[in-house]
Amino acid sequence: MGEPKDKIGIKEYIAIALFMIGTKTTDDIPSMLFDSLQNAGWIAPIISGILAILPLFLLLHIAANYQDKSLIDIIYHIFGKFLGFLVLFFLWAIGFFYIVLDTATYTDIISTMYFVKTPAILIYATLMGVCAYGAKRGLEQIGSVSWSVLPYLQVSLFLSLILTIGQGNLGFLFPVFGPGEWDVLKESTMKISLYMDFLYLFMLFPFVKSTKDFKKGTWIAFFLILINLSITMVSYVMLFDYKSVMLLNYPYHETIRSISLGFLTNIETLFFPFWLIASFIKFAAYLYINIMLFGKLFKIEHFEYIMPAFATLIVFLGLLPESPTFAIFDLKAMVGNLASPLFFFLPIIMWTLAKFKGDLRK
Amino acid sequence: MSKLRTTGKIFIIILLVFILSGCMDQTEVDQLAYVVAIGLGKSEEDDNLVKITYIFANPESGTQAGGSGGDEPPQETISFSATDFITSRSLANAVIAKQVTYDLLRLIIVSEDFAKDEDFIRWIYDATKAMEIRRDIRLLVSQEEPSVFVQNNQPKLDTRPHQYFELMFNRGLNTGTVPPSKLNRFFRITEADANLFLSIYATTELNDDTKENKDPDNIAAGEFEFEGETNNTQFAGSAVFKEGIMIDTLTIEETRLAFLLSNVLQQPDEILTSLPDPFTDEHYLTVRIRRESNVDLKMNLDKTKPSILATIPISIEVMTNHGMTDFTDSEKIRQTLEKSFEDTLTEKFDELIKKTQEKYSTEPFGWSLVARKEFLTIPEWESFDWMKTYPNMEIHTDVRVDLEKFGRQTELPSLDEMRD
Repeated sequence: MGEPKDKIGIKEYIAIALFMIGTKTTDDIPSMLFDSLQNAGWIAPIISGILAILPLFLLLHIAANYQDKSLIDIIYHIFGKFLGFLVLFFLWAIGFFYIVLDTATYTDIISTMYFVKTPAILIYATLMGVCAYGAKRGLEQIGSVSWSVLPYLQVSLFLSLILTIGQGNLGFLFPVFGPGEWDVLKESTMKISLYMDFLYLFMLFPFVKSTKDFKKGTWIAFFLILINLSITMVSYVMLFDYKSVMLLNYPYHETIRSISLGFLTNIETLFFPFWLIASFIKFAAYLYINIMLFGKLFKIEHFEYIMPAFATLIVFLGLLPESPTFAIFDLKAMVGNLASPLFFFLPIIMWTLAKFKGDLRK
Repeated sequence: MSKLRTTGKIFIIILLVFILSGCMDQTEVDQLAYVVAIGLGKSEEDDNLVKITYIFANPESGTQAGGSGGDEPPQETISFSATDFITSRSLANAVIAKQVTYDLLRLIIVSEDFAKDEDFIRWIYDATKAMEIRRDIRLLVSQEEPSVFVQNNQPKLDTRPHQYFELMFNRGLNTGTVPPSKLNRFFRITEADANLFLSIYATTELNDDTKENKDPDNIAAGEFEFEGETNNTQFAGSAVFKEGIMIDTLTIEETRLAFLLSNVLQQPDEILTSLPDPFTDEHYLTVRIRRESNVDLKMNLDKTKPSILATIPISIEVMTNHGMTDFTDSEKIRQTLEKSFEDTLTEKFDELIKKTQEKYSTEPFGWSLVARKEFLTIPEWESFDWMKTYPNMEIHTDVRVDLEKFGRQTELPSLDEMRD
């Protein structure tokens, strides 16, 4: 197989982006935001989103100028062989580390909230097995699966949102600025790594049908994600109030346990399968991009063959931390703090260098 | 071809691993004992133990398909001491044959004694730890020990426990006699540390010291005197929790007033009560009270002299007319009536608000949520300290009554003409 032969369209691209980033609202990212921003947590995706427009814009500008080159080639081109390799390796390492942590979080969610008796390793192995299989099938398959299930998942998220907001109270959003205006601004800036995954999505640039599609798709996906993140976080505050929401580990899963649909009470069993499908696709895409980058770095043409090996490695690495709920949470915050400046400054540096090289047309 | 077959077989086997790994947590429905309600009471022997009471529902009872299940009782109850209601699940298996599950748990019953204990909060937070316990279950305070409560609670008609409790609470909410009392709310209010939480108050024992000729609305559970052959359990009024400790009880009337003052609680649709008739001294008018829209709260929260003006739009339907006054006669009579209702209600509201200010020093109406809108940041709000400021606030209530219908037949014969 190697690199994908067919290109994916704008729909598939948007769907993949939504799965990779939009699902963050259902894991422990909201609780990370609520921790520092209290009831103003929902503002963070908006403020950091506004900030993320700059790097995104620059990246799109650069990508449009180097037609048919992926971000990987562009970085090599701009930074030169050695430095380019270092930058890419760093990107890969962060991405890989993040996959390990994120899959560990999802395993923790499944094992603490749904399958209490099943050993974590079995859940982890199943999760990674499915994702590795999905990733190995290639980008076209991930894309078409994403697009075909996206409507169902959005509807299920939308339904849980309506129910939550219906049972919530708008009064909990006040005082609007939570810990204080400056704190909100400062902390939100630090959380720009929320949108970090766009950097990885740019590696798919040559595999999207046209530059125009890619541009349009990126912006559509970006705004959809921003809206998704903020609204779901607003709904969590509306249901739990700020003190309680700060205590929750996985707000989405507590939410679907607290709401009821008329006479139907235990409706978490309705939302859980949808969420599972979303996580499978999310990690399949993550894994695909990450391994593709690895393959490029070390010149492995048929990189899909190393997927099972990496999936296994991830399982064992992810199982290492003791009491994952806390350990992973802290590690993730650390990676986030590292990734935030990288995401913000890398495109700026790239753009400046490209300008110097005179590659950028007017 | 054979190579394809082998790969296929291996593939199917691997696929089975994925499919079957979900079965690790599997349990059969008929191997589970469904707990509908947990009772928590103080243990007599040890401070570190609690008395756990379970009500198990029998899923086969009352169904047509059960066949032989028809003779089984609809519920089973046991009580014993345990360290908490998580370990009690396996302890219970000393007598209960099936695995105890909280999947269908709808209610936690706490004895008044235990609820008033400051350690109660340590145990109730176990509910946030267990995987199956949902946050939308209800909290009920019983006057006696839960073990006694569940033994005495023998509904004659709606014998299936989950159905009985659900029907009881729904009716209570519709008539405004009990508060909604969801566990989620309890945690939220306790953690936000600004308001009072109202819980359902119930008992199976009749109070002996009930005063004679009490106003029928001004009672709490245990004070409703009735005769006949039915279940002895009464759900009436509410238990007041402040900072996770029960401090007092509210009567039915006070609970209803709390409903009417709150923008957070869902309004009951059938508050039937009697108000004094301004035209005769000895008679009362039965009315149906409904709040038309949200209470409008105007707050002035400067530190020195904070004040609140609450405008409560009420619509009243007059259901009886024992004074036999002709209300259809003139606009003026209706205005007098309106005025009299407004005065009575204002007085009642003021009385309750005064009680909350003086006795509890905070309120159960969720007004702090409105006050929060006046602040920009949480530190500002927290330094304002609602619980400290509320007792000194100047609170005015402005009741606006709209008269609606006067029953199916509006006019009554004139008594004077009839008896002349």
